Amino acid sequence: MVGEGKRKRTIAIEEAVVTTAVVIAGLALQFTLGSFDKAFLAFPVNIIALAALATLLFIKKGKLLTRLSSGSLSVILLTLVLLITLYMGLVPGNKTKISWPFVLIYLMTLINLTAVISLHLKEFSGKRIPFLLNHLGVLILLFAAGLGSADKSRYFMRVNEGAVEWRAEQSGANAQDGLKELPVAISLKNFEIDEYPPKLAIIERSTGEALPKGRALFIPAQESNLAIIDRWSVRVDSIKYLPRYAPAAFVTVESLHNSDTMRGWVSCGNHFQRHKTLDINDNLCVAMTFPEPKSYSSDVIVYTQSGKQRSGTIKVNSPLTVGSWKIYQHSYDTQMGRDSLWSRFELVYDPWFIPALIGIIMMIAGAISLFWKGGAR
Amino acid sequence: MNWSNFIYFAFASLTLWIVGLILLYRIKSLSVGKIFIFAGILLFSVFIAGLWIGQGHPPLRTIGETRLWYSLFIIIVGFFTYLHWEYKWLMGYSILVSAVFIFVNLLKPEIHTTNLMPALRSIWFVPHVTVYILSYAMLGAATIAAFAAMRELRSNTRLIPLVDNLVYIGFGFLMMGMLMGAIWAKEAWGDYWSWDPKEVWAFITATAYLIYIHSRLRGYPLKYNLWLLPVAFILLMITWIGVNYLPAAQGSIHIY
Ligand code: HEM
Repeated sequence: MVGEGKRKRTIAIEEAVVTTAVVIAGLALQFTLGSFDKAFLAFPVNIIALAALATLLFIKKGKLLTRLSSGSLSVILLTLVLLITLYMGLVPGNKTKISWPFVLIYLMTLINLTAVISLHLKEFSGKRIPFLLNHLGVLILLFAAGLGSADKSRYFMRVNEGAVEWRAEQSGANAQDGLKELPVAISLKNFEIDEYPPKLAIIERSTGEALPKGRALFIPAQESNLAIIDRWSVRVDSIKYLPRYAPAAFVTVESLHNSDTMRGWVSCGNHFQRHKTLDINDNLCVAMTFPEPKSYSSDVIVYTQSGKQRSGTIKVNSPLTVGSWKIYQHSYDTQMGRDSLWSRFELVYDPWFIPALIGIIMMIAGAISLFWKGGAR
Repeated sequence: MNWSNFIYFAFASLTLWIVGLILLYRIKSLSVGKIFIFAGILLFSVFIAGLWIGQGHPPLRTIGETRLWYSLFIIIVGFFTYLHWEYKWLMGYSILVSAVFIFVNLLKPEIHTTNLMPALRSIWFVPHVTVYILSYAMLGAATIAAFAAMRELRSNTRLIPLVDNLVYIGFGFLMMGMLMGAIWAKEAWGDYWSWDPKEVWAFITATAYLIYIHSRLRGYPLKYNLWLLPVAFILLMITWIGVNYLPAAQGSIHIY
């Protein structure tokens, strides 16, 4: 077994030399050509790369496959990935993810993974299913998230209530200016906001700070809410919501030390109406915060070029899927708040999302197999 | 129920756990000690459930709230590992760590109840965060077990199966947390992976544990392999708590 150990060690050295050479080549490319241009990987290049990788699954077991699938190579590659991502996580504003060394190590990892999967597939048995779930899953996900993501594009589209829109502006890192016609169109039937009740606080005018200082207390403006803030009791007698107007609360403030009592309307104001505070004394007043949105949603109909039509409601966290497109609720006219007359959507085109999802689901199953099997061998 | 009740539940649970631990060490019949520890777990869970109902949303949003779950899960992990492997010291360690987190929450409660922003109102939110915290608890236990294993490495390797088991299970939860986060991100932000600082560090952490798993499979010397675990755990703590303080992380979409 001594000979075996020695052989293993020389192979690990070979792998270390090869990966070092790749990293140095990556650095050289980085300094001569600059960052890797991801657009290069867009269709059809990624499909060709996929076919090339897939041939590894079919070649016969032999020296090449054994070398490419080496477990020591995996450990070295994972260590390099760790070091590169550490740089990514520590140095602000870097472009590591599109640097040549990272791209090359990423590709080597894909090859290493494919080769080891190829070996395991050749001796397939039920016992290998956990291995395949983990490794095929991570391979598919890494491929889709890496080479596949070159096909992805994102757009912003602003649609007025009652109108149909098919033009959008590109978003993201290398977006071009101007509007572009998309193969999907959106008609906005209705936009709606659901808000949390606004909050009341006692504010010191000279500093703008809320009382008690350091641990400010905000009370929700809901009918018959009562709170003691510093030396005052604050009660909400009634609250009024009218279309177009900002929410307003009728508030009673009583001093806990003397018989001072103040009553009046307090409102946060909006685009249509000024805000209103209730004075307690020269320096203190009761003020209302803007209501925070709880959820907002758009009722839409989506049309595609091929004549398909889908209607639905788009909310934050609940996009509408049409083919390879997902349409997200992005924003609205915050100046107008609940009266916003338009809704802004983000449209994301990602033909590789389904493969990525398959990889993710396989890996979740693989993770569960880790609990089941454990690490004791 | 709200945070002002925490102190009573915390001290009551801690007392049950500590008394339970002493009983485990002192008394021949172990079941009394186990019942005490279990009762403490139940009591602590009642507080979390009450807080959840009282706030109207799961207490998972602030750092203080995730510490609350960690305090509970580390005890649950310690308890079940104890039931399986009978390591009393692991139970004791879990109680110590839990107590530290409880005291941090009592002394520096970063727990301001705030409204949940729309992006957090998702079915993925609860499983994503709880599974992550569960994995932190497992991997924390693995780190301590690794130190214990290093100490007795000269004479025996009986703790190695425990270490590997904790790493596998902890890593399994870590992957599940990360993958559910990816699905959620696709639903909420349009991309399942965007190299956001928190994501970069989660990736670093997962890679570090993958290195441990694969270098164990290769059979590299245990002396070096075991050191990977404390290193990986430091990376994990940076992911959890440290990221917000890093210069590279300004403008992260993750609020904790
Ligand atoms: C989700 C991620 C991963 C998990 C959970 C995982 C887990 C495992 C496990 C449990 C084994 C042992 C399998 C068995 O004997 O049945 C294994 C083997 C292996 N894995 Fe992974 N792995 C992952 C990712 C990777 C990656 C990214 C690579 C490549 C860089 C890789 C390369 C290998 C190799 C080459 C082996 C054979 C190891 C040997 O015999 O030395 N794995 N992996």
